[in-house]
Amino acid sequence: MATRGKARSYTKARSRACVFRTLLAMEALLFNVSGGFLEGIVRGYKAGLLTQNQYNNLTQCETIEDFRTQLSATDYGNFLANEPLPISTSTISDKATQLLVDQFNYLRSNAVEPLSKFLEYMTYAYMIDNVILIITGTLHGRNTNELLQRCHPLGIFDTMPALCVATNVEELYHTVLVETPLAPYFRDSVSAADLDDLNIEIIRNTLYKAYLEDFDAFCQSLGGPTADVMHRILAFEADRRALNITINSFGTQLSKEQRAKLFPTIGRLFPEGNNALARADDIEQVRQACDAVAEYRAFFDSAGSSASASARANGGANGTGGGSESTADLLGELDGEFGAAADLEDRFFVHEVHLNKLAFLQQFQHAVFYSYIKLKEQEIRSVTWIAECIAQNARDRIHDFIPTF
Amino acid sequence: MGDEYPTLFRSERMSLVQLIVPTEVAHDTIAELGELGNVQFKDLNPDVNPFQRSFVGEIRRIDEMARRVRFFASQIEKEKEPIPIRPLYDSAPLVTVGPRAAQTIDELDVKLAEHEARLTQMNESYQLLSERLRELVEARHVLRETAQFFSQAAVRETEVRNSLDDSSAPLLQHDDREHQYSSGELQFDLEFVAGTIDRARLSTFERVLWRVLRGNLYMNYIDIQEPFVDPATGAETRKNVFIIFAHGDVLLGKIRKVAESMGATIYPIDVNADKRADSMREVTGRLEDLQIVLYNTGANRRTELMTIGESLASWQDVVGKEKLIYETLNLLNYDVRRKTLIAEGWCPTRDIPQIQLALRHATEESGTNVPPILHELRTNRTPPTFHRTNKFTEGFQTIMDAYGVATYEEVNPGLFAVITFPFLFAVMFGDIGHGFIILTAAALMILFERKLGKADLGEIIGTFFFGRYIILLMGIFSIYTGFLYNDIFSKSLHLFHSGWDFPGNESVGIANGHTYPLGIDPAWHGAENGLLFTNSYKMKMSIVLGVIHMTFAVCLQVPNHIRFKRFADIYTNFIPQMIFLQSIFGYLVICIIYKWTVDWSKASTQPPSLLNMLIGMVLSPGSVNPEEQLYPGQSTVQVILLLMAAVCVPWLLVTKPYLQWQEMKKIQGQGYIGLDAEDVPRHTDDTTLEGEEEGNGRAIVEASDEEHEQHDFSEVVVHQVIHTIEFCLGCVSHTASYLRLWALSLAHAQLSEVLWNMTLANVLGIPGLVGIVALVIGGAIWLVLTIAILCVMEGLSAFLHALRLHWVEANSKHYEAGGYQFAPLSFARLNEKQ
Repeated sequence: MATRGKARSYTKARSRACVFRTLLAMEALLFNVSGGFLEGIVRGYKAGLLTQNQYNNLTQCETIEDFRTQLSATDYGNFLANEPLPISTSTISDKATQLLVDQFNYLRSNAVEPLSKFLEYMTYAYMIDNVILIITGTLHGRNTNELLQRCHPLGIFDTMPALCVATNVEELYHTVLVETPLAPYFRDSVSAADLDDLNIEIIRNTLYKAYLEDFDAFCQSLGGPTADVMHRILAFEADRRALNITINSFGTQLSKEQRAKLFPTIGRLFPEGNNALARADDIEQVRQACDAVAEYRAFFDSAGSSASASARANGGANGTGGGSESTADLLGELDGEFGAAADLEDRFFVHEVHLNKLAFLQQFQHAVFYSYIKLKEQEIRSVTWIAECIAQNARDRIHDFIPTF
Repeated sequence: MGDEYPTLFRSERMSLVQLIVPTEVAHDTIAELGELGNVQFKDLNPDVNPFQRSFVGEIRRIDEMARRVRFFASQIEKEKEPIPIRPLYDSAPLVTVGPRAAQTIDELDVKLAEHEARLTQMNESYQLLSERLRELVEARHVLRETAQFFSQAAVRETEVRNSLDDSSAPLLQHDDREHQYSSGELQFDLEFVAGTIDRARLSTFERVLWRVLRGNLYMNYIDIQEPFVDPATGAETRKNVFIIFAHGDVLLGKIRKVAESMGATIYPIDVNADKRADSMREVTGRLEDLQIVLYNTGANRRTELMTIGESLASWQDVVGKEKLIYETLNLLNYDVRRKTLIAEGWCPTRDIPQIQLALRHATEESGTNVPPILHELRTNRTPPTFHRTNKFTEGFQTIMDAYGVATYEEVNPGLFAVITFPFLFAVMFGDIGHGFIILTAAALMILFERKLGKADLGEIIGTFFFGRYIILLMGIFSIYTGFLYNDIFSKSLHLFHSGWDFPGNESVGIANGHTYPLGIDPAWHGAENGLLFTNSYKMKMSIVLGVIHMTFAVCLQVPNHIRFKRFADIYTNFIPQMIFLQSIFGYLVICIIYKWTVDWSKASTQPPSLLNMLIGMVLSPGSVNPEEQLYPGQSTVQVILLLMAAVCVPWLLVTKPYLQWQEMKKIQGQGYIGLDAEDVPRHTDDTTLEGEEEGNGRAIVEASDEEHEQHDFSEVVVHQVIHTIEFCLGCVSHTASYLRLWALSLAHAQLSEVLWNMTLANVLGIPGLVGIVALVIGGAIWLVLTIAILCVMEGLSAFLHALRLHWVEANSKHYEAGGYQFAPLSFARLNEKQ
């Protein structure tokens, strides 16, 4: 629990400043001194996010060239103007991400404490993803340079390339991660000895758990609206991870104790929901675990019904219908679970977008920076999806993106 | 009115015209109109997505061509040795109109594609070769540095050297960079890895290695002096040679892996000195070969770029124009059935014959005999505002447009600003010397206008250059006011006989009967009460100028009221405003002038303070202290004037709303009700349009797009109340605001005097060589500060205040500024933007 200890000492160090600021009633008074300019910038960026109307126009495009013309009328501007003509969707995605990264770096280079620290915290998530990507890639014998290119630019750190040398967790920690900001998170997960797919997954989730908890502690130390808004967003992120871990661990070697250890403890499901999830064996129990939170219940309402509908259909075909453990029924159940999981993922995204949009309703707080980056990422995903659908001529699925504004 | 001579007084009269253009001449017509640059096209398909418009295919093709041209331009720009780009006026014109236009564009497209392919290929091979060259250079560095290292080591530890001699490992037989190390056969107990790495990553590299190998290594590195230049981007990278000794296969493997992932290049180096020398020779030989090949490739590429540079400018021009043409064509209404395009747009009425001519010309050019048809449409929409300026008036007009674009056919304050602006500036900047300096600067800019116009001057100098004619007039007027103030670099000119004598050591001047004919008598300069005199004079002058300027601005309402047929406004707005202004401030001006004419030394009363007089006139009407009476009967006159002004306030406030209300009553009494704009049947629909046209061949009356101004009575009242308050309070505050003329003029004079006293005045009296040196230094300081502070800084400040006096004090009296700028399709503007 060194992480918590560190976070707590940080909290203590800041607490006096915090109390002082609270006494003066403060964010509204002092926020703009250091954060006003950047908040203005980020709100300007946010105004440039694609609107529903622009999405509609994009979905009407016949070809990628149309798509480019259409995008050039938006805030993306001429970002594809100098690309030779057959434009691949990955180019679009890369270029769009590059725009996002440029914006982020602009914010970051202009930020002062505590915003700079906040933005730094945001990059840790990408670092974790990159670390996991490289370890997994190396494990499967991929070329390091190729892996490096696939890393998210926001999560790149100096010693990252050396990750590919590591063959076990110990080495991983001592060679590379020890000098990164992820080191304190990693110390908690040094239990696993070898690097295999399961362990990597455990490492990822442990890191993420520690990261989310630390980030949340940091946001609480900032106090004020930042703490409120960020806690809402991070709590959802934590619950989402807990649910995903649970659903994905069905039928794997992950024991229930191990699973329970991976759940972040800042979510709205914590603690009783987490305990229920730790004991869950199928999606029905997951749903029951979520019953306590109204918003989460809604995720499962139709998802669960579709799952049980398909299960019922299977059962009906089998002619048993008594709920006995026939093989067909089991398969149907499993099928339903996968379908429900994909469906759930979309619902999670929608809810995340919703929460991030809410962040913009409050001023004088840092959560807008987090939310903007998340919304922009979602937008890039949507744009890429539309481009992909156009390129592959899958027009019936083109509307399956998640609009931001 | 179309044959009227063009004037700046009002904006140009505009017509809404409709062009019916056969599809085959459409392109040429637009090209011709673009050259002419006086038609502003309206978007006739506002509901259509940009990519669903008719000419999107062409635009896309042009975009692709534009991308290629940009690619060429960037390639040429990146070239270290500048490649000449033949300027546009020197290149053979590419004709993109006429019957062969399509072919020309096709050819150009193919040509551009070919050039691009060739250039890309050359770039690739050049890059490949440079890459190989870089590797060889690095290899040479590694070899050289390691050799040095080993020789040093050999001197220190000869036994190591000895053990090397009998090693017979098969090393570096081939040139590929396979990392084959025969560490097994090697008897040398320390194995090593050598290579190069980016200098920025060196420390990270070392740190990681240290941790990976737990410190079981010996690392040595040396800087490579010259940077490596990436041929594609021109970015420089600096590298280091490193050599790492470690023990054991596993460790070496790890080192290699880390090195590779950190972007280092590893070169197989032999421990054997002879073999090292061999490979050094080989590397050097290959390096030479490669350099020759590289040079040839580079030369070829350069030749290709030179060829491109020959015609790049004309390509850029053509591509830009074509794009603009197709974008304009997309605005037109396209009817597949009729094979015609319908365009609508604004153009100056005077230019219609010119446009007709251009249309005919376009028809001839394209070799068809179906001419485009132009006819005027009647409309109730407000046309755009277009002032025909030349290079002289452009700057002044821009000053006024920056405040707001004039309403269509409104009196344009830009015309009067040509004189009033430099004059008000000069009142604040009056100094012959400083005026002469800025006059010289402006004259130089005008003299080298052509040369400077072509050069890219940057934003700041460019702004000054744009306003060169304003500066010229400002300079001339400053010299004039300098004569009036009798100020040249804070000294005075003694041109005529002074009106004052200072006999003997007398410190009080005695009038000698002369009158100084122009400006201030030099005797005032340096007089103890000189400042008192100039202050009083300049302050009064400011008020006089201000009231004249404001009166003039109020008068400019009249032509507007007449033109817009708002005759009622003349006696509901103009006359009361005029009476109000004149009865208080006009009276003040008359008093000022009268006070100047009276010889107060011989008068029976004390000279009255005009300020107190004005305050007394308002606060205690009817009572004038007889001691300070300006003229007999003053109190009666003042009471009458005050009553006149007081009457004007309710007059302004009530009459206009009342008249409007009466009119409304009358209309309603006659049984009319207001028509909603929505109810008017619209004729823009294409089929109706066609039917009407074919039915009786008359021009279509455009339905009103803009909402009819609702004559809401309460709005009129509120507006008039605000207007009244604004005007009455404005009269007071604006008159006071003109005192800035005095303040700035005073500040300017004082500043230049201080500057003179602190620099030149100190060094003027020193005799001998020291005096000359001091004079040169002092003079230089004085000159630099004069230009930097007095001319540039003070000039900008005076400019700003003159601007304010025009925008706020004068424009608020008459300028509606509710128009929108005429933005015609023009190729000339395209070039300006580039």
